Amino acid sequence: MATGIDIQSVTKTYSRGGETLRVLDELELGMAGGTFYALMGPSGSGKTTLLNLIGGLDHADTGSIVVGDTRIENLDGSDLAQWRAENVGFIFQGFNLLPVLSARENVELPLLLAPLSGKQRREQAERALELVGLTDRMTHKPKELSGGQEQRVAIARAIASDPAVILADEPTGDLDRDTADSILELMQRLNKELQKTILMVTHDPQAATYADQTIHLDKGKLGHIEDNRTAATGS
Amino acid sequence: MPIRLLIRNMFSHPIRTLLTGLSVTIAVFLLCVLDAAIGGLDAAVSQASRTRLWVQSAVSLFVNLPDSYESKIKNVPGVEEVVRFQWFGGVYQDPSNFFAQFAVDARKWKESYPELEMIEGSLEEWEKARTNCIIGTDLASRFGWKVGDKVPLTGTIFPKSDGSAWDFTVVGIYESKSTSIDQLTMYFHYDYLYESLDTGAAGGPGGVGVFLTRLAEGADAATTIGAIEELYQNGPQRVRATTEGEFQRQFISMLGSVPTLLYSIGGGVLFAIFFAVLNTMLMAARERTRDIGILKSLGFTNGKITLLLVAEALTLCLVGGGIGVVLAILAERPLWSFFSAFIPGFTIQSNVIVQGVLLAAGLGIVAGLMPAIRARRLNPVTALRSEA
Repeated sequence: MATGIDIQSVTKTYSRGGETLRVLDELELGMAGGTFYALMGPSGSGKTTLLNLIGGLDHADTGSIVVGDTRIENLDGSDLAQWRAENVGFIFQGFNLLPVLSARENVELPLLLAPLSGKQRREQAERALELVGLTDRMTHKPKELSGGQEQRVAIARAIASDPAVILADEPTGDLDRDTADSILELMQRLNKELQKTILMVTHDPQAATYADQTIHLDKGKLGHIEDNRTAATGS
Repeated sequence: MPIRLLIRNMFSHPIRTLLTGLSVTIAVFLLCVLDAAIGGLDAAVSQASRTRLWVQSAVSLFVNLPDSYESKIKNVPGVEEVVRFQWFGGVYQDPSNFFAQFAVDARKWKESYPELEMIEGSLEEWEKARTNCIIGTDLASRFGWKVGDKVPLTGTIFPKSDGSAWDFTVVGIYESKSTSIDQLTMYFHYDYLYESLDTGAAGGPGGVGVFLTRLAEGADAATTIGAIEELYQNGPQRVRATTEGEFQRQFISMLGSVPTLLYSIGGGVLFAIFFAVLNTMLMAARERTRDIGILKSLGFTNGKITLLLVAEALTLCLVGGGIGVVLAILAERPLWSFFSAFIPGFTIQSNVIVQGVLLAAGLGIVAGLMPAIRARRLNPVTALRSEA
């Protein structure tokens, strides 16, 4: 069963230069499992912060975030890390691959945390790379790959351990239009074929059209939700 | 795979890794050598005989005592035997071939040194001719001497009147069972020296450098020392009596501040290397802040990241330290031939090897833990934002 996300009264503040910034303000949001969401909004509206909170990379000041049946504010330390390893795959704008490892070894990284043999890890990593169309680049180091290929490796890494939720922070921000489109198509395919719940932060309205719905944040609050499927059907 | 990541990280900057490892190698090598030197000096003192006293001039070891003191010292209660010892200071072919030579009372000398064993020739043979001598096994190895060889020495303190060399015949080679007695010394007959002086065949100071005094069984060293010193309290020349251990300690201190200086500089260098290694590893870990953020975002716990960082530093330090230990073991013999003249007990002991390995391991753990503590505190979001 696909994993949904439920956000209730989440507030997150940061202190900068003695000033307190309320990045998320009593945010209420529900996301259905197996849906591809784009998250848009002006700079400082709290998009990346929300992504980090859902992924357990940061903690909310108040409120509750439930991913599937896990209330993540109840998790801490190694429990949170383990939950993240099993349930969340991250895709970053800057790819964030380890430069010393090959494409396959990068994809194998999250699998180190699963109870798998070396052979199983290797096979699973190769399957993920096959899914993103990089079978011929498995032994290449990140610096030997193009930006698009690096992002495909990052996507393969994000799906390697079969997490229910994929969180992508401007995954096409550093890519040209054509490459960006192919990455977005790949993400769309992962959502449809593997039933992954995807939440993608983007500034690009065209990228957002690949998602089923677009969530608009404004000053830390929910603006509105746009259903791209209806819009597409309507047009 | 974690091992692969560890090795790849180590060799992501091969020159830095090599230099850091080399620093640890030098530090551990230095530690082993210093420990061996200090251990050798300690052994020379601690293993010195408790039944032998050294009686010398109260002024200096270089001022001789009158011959006549021998019989008076021998009459002191608690004294079993007195052996005359005279530093000869001869040169074999070239001054750089330095080794110690002593003129001694052969028969009494051999009774006083039960820890020396003849491995070639015999002490009986030594007594047969005035020009016979015995040498230590290391001295024999150093110059390739064997029993029957003639050894000419040019006198410096005691030059021959006709300018010729003193001739000695090697009739025995001894081995020492005690680290307080070296195997690099030549012993020859005291009578050969002083008959040459008496007849004018050679020149040099008269008298005796040291009276080696053997204590009778059950005699108290302190009481006997007091009694010997009391003999000449009012002259003609005051004496100073010490146990062999104390004499060794004084002889070592005669080397002046060189050992102290050596240890101070060595210790300083050692610390400097440690801090340099530590600093390099901290810098290397800081450069990988984003990598740590990536690992955290993938679900690696603080414990696993700590393990990875410590294992990496530990591996590097243990490899470097291991090489240092191996080099120290390989260098033991050449270094020993350099040090053994004044540190007979210079040996790389197994406990020193263990210390070297422990030091390398300790350095590795500290060098790994410090960045690991920082990594634990790192917020993954902040870490991911840092520059690669």
